[in-house]
Amino acid sequence: MFAPITLEILVLVLGFALLLAESFSNAPSKRALPKIALFVLAWVFAFSFFTAPAPDTVEPGSFWNFYSASPISMMFKRIALLTTMGVLVMSLDYESTLAKFIPSSRPGAGTGEFYILPLFTCAGLMLMASATDLVMAFAALELVTISFYVQVAYMRSNSASLEAGIKYLILGALSTGFFVYGLTWVFGLTGETHFDKVALKLAALENSDTAILFALLLVLVGLGFKVAAVPFQSWVPDVYQGAPTPVTAFLSVGSKAAGFLLLLRVLEPFLGVSSIQPKVLAVLGTMAGATLIYGNLAALPQNNLKRLLAYSSIGHAGYLLLAVASVGATVTGFGAVGTTIGFYLFAYLLMTVLGFLVLTAVSTQTKGEEIQHFNGLSKRSPFLAFALLVAMSSLAGVPLTAGFYGKFLVFAHAVNAQLWVLVGLGVVTVGAGFYYYLRVVAAMYWYEPTDTAPIHVSSLSKAVMALLVVCIFVFGVNPRPILSALQGAPAKVAAAH
Amino acid sequence: MSPVLFWAFTLLMLAFGVSVILNRNPVASALSLVGSFLCLASLFVGLDAFFIGVIQVLVYAGAVMVLFLFIIMLLDLKAEQRRRFNPIALVGGAAVSGAFVAFLLHVLKSFPAGSRAFPNLGVERLDDVRLVGFALFNHFNLPFQTVGVLVLVASIGVVVLSRRELK
Repeated sequence: MFAPITLEILVLVLGFALLLAESFSNAPSKRALPKIALFVLAWVFAFSFFTAPAPDTVEPGSFWNFYSASPISMMFKRIALLTTMGVLVMSLDYESTLAKFIPSSRPGAGTGEFYILPLFTCAGLMLMASATDLVMAFAALELVTISFYVQVAYMRSNSASLEAGIKYLILGALSTGFFVYGLTWVFGLTGETHFDKVALKLAALENSDTAILFALLLVLVGLGFKVAAVPFQSWVPDVYQGAPTPVTAFLSVGSKAAGFLLLLRVLEPFLGVSSIQPKVLAVLGTMAGATLIYGNLAALPQNNLKRLLAYSSIGHAGYLLLAVASVGATVTGFGAVGTTIGFYLFAYLLMTVLGFLVLTAVSTQTKGEEIQHFNGLSKRSPFLAFALLVAMSSLAGVPLTAGFYGKFLVFAHAVNAQLWVLVGLGVVTVGAGFYYYLRVVAAMYWYEPTDTAPIHVSSLSKAVMALLVVCIFVFGVNPRPILSALQGAPAKVAAAH
Repeated sequence: MSPVLFWAFTLLMLAFGVSVILNRNPVASALSLVGSFLCLASLFVGLDAFFIGVIQVLVYAGAVMVLFLFIIMLLDLKAEQRRRFNPIALVGGAAVSGAFVAFLLHVLKSFPAGSRAFPNLGVERLDDVRLVGFALFNHFNLPFQTVGVLVLVASIGVVVLSRRELK
């Protein structure tokens, strides 16, 4: 049995070790770095199943004041680890494109940090998944965000990547400002930073509904930016399109997963204040509706697959927000909704990483990310076409895929909460989703290829793609393993109440 | 803290803040920012938070601003001065910040605890350096370590993004 924090420490030590190895070695190729990282991360992932539970009593001054090892935290740590591994596999394929846009003295130089920075992001995501204190959550969030700033702008001879980096930096800093200001309001109102204590103090406050709502508003602005919810989505398309493709995948899955878990944690104390609960839910519902409409409708006319996936990422944030908004009415608490969001994000991880893996492989060879570059892919590389077909179907929500079950759970919550308008919107936007996701499929299977040369894929990526395809179907048909991992063993849940 | 000093420093700080934005010359902007930081430091000192006041001067007004000025000197100043304001953006920005301030004032007005002064601590003086250090290295150790990693990542980022040619 390991202490759960061993996982983060291992990832960080791996990052430090690779940094040192990179600076002292004379090897011309950096490709060994991500391979070592993949190997170690796989072990860390395995270790995550053998961690000791949190102690029952927490001493003051112990790090358990900041850290939770609940089943949902552990699951989000695994999501972070798997995403990072997917990103590293993608980065290996992406090396040729990356090297072209780095000013380097010899080919391949300067790519080392591109493989190492994701490890620090991963550690940040894992810490964020466990944060139970505003200070901890903020430190981890900033670790994630700052490492993303660097990664987005990494291809600095490419103007799109630089523009994306600057945009993300400026808007990110602005949203951080709002978030911190919100946190100071929370601290000013309660004098506490631990989520549980904040919840107790907030519920006991009198005559301060306006102030509590104001604090929540500021926090929502900051977190809305991280999860790409409307009206804080304007950075998403340009940043996603300009960033190196593996980083886009990382942003889309990692940043969203950690952002939503933090959103749940932060919202819980606020929803405990009964006098403002209806207003909070109304705000969340409005955000969910606007995000659903904007993400899905704006994706319709896109011809660039990366940009399409950016809008689709906004759309998926809408479904997740729909689940968050349906928490109050049934008083199921965040237990059930947390499970749904965990499952949705896990499914989103599988299909998004798969989609970006295929996108990386195809765009490296065809030198483009437009949908027309995928024309006739089924004749060039049937396996890649099939993998992208599965990813797109799952993103659209075709039955028997993991994506379908995720959406099904979300809609079940919304129906329970009787949010009929949002359910209607959800159904319409799923329809829109079918159109734009399947347009990619149509291009692959119905149009003639302009070039018939098969697309070369490394055997590692091929194996990962095959694994992801299998997982999408397996967890689409039988989601139970994931759901029970999120809920934890029944005995533990009973003990917690 | 005497109210006269409070208002004097607050107004000065805000005036310097406005001059940061309005000044066309970046060096003047940066120096106004230093002035704003110094007034903020005096506010902290007035609240008996000596440690934060000193850190404010040492770190922000000292180290950070010197770096700022250094970078500004390396940039082409004339290009910055020639830039014109976009009237729509100006009006929009003013409207948004005005609305935010109005909103903030409304919130403060409807929140009685916000206008109540805190009672005196009742101690002559606090050993604040020791207390801050104690809180940081004991209770807040995990977030502190995380910030350490953050700084490492930021410095890697600076090297990666700013070196002329990577080896």
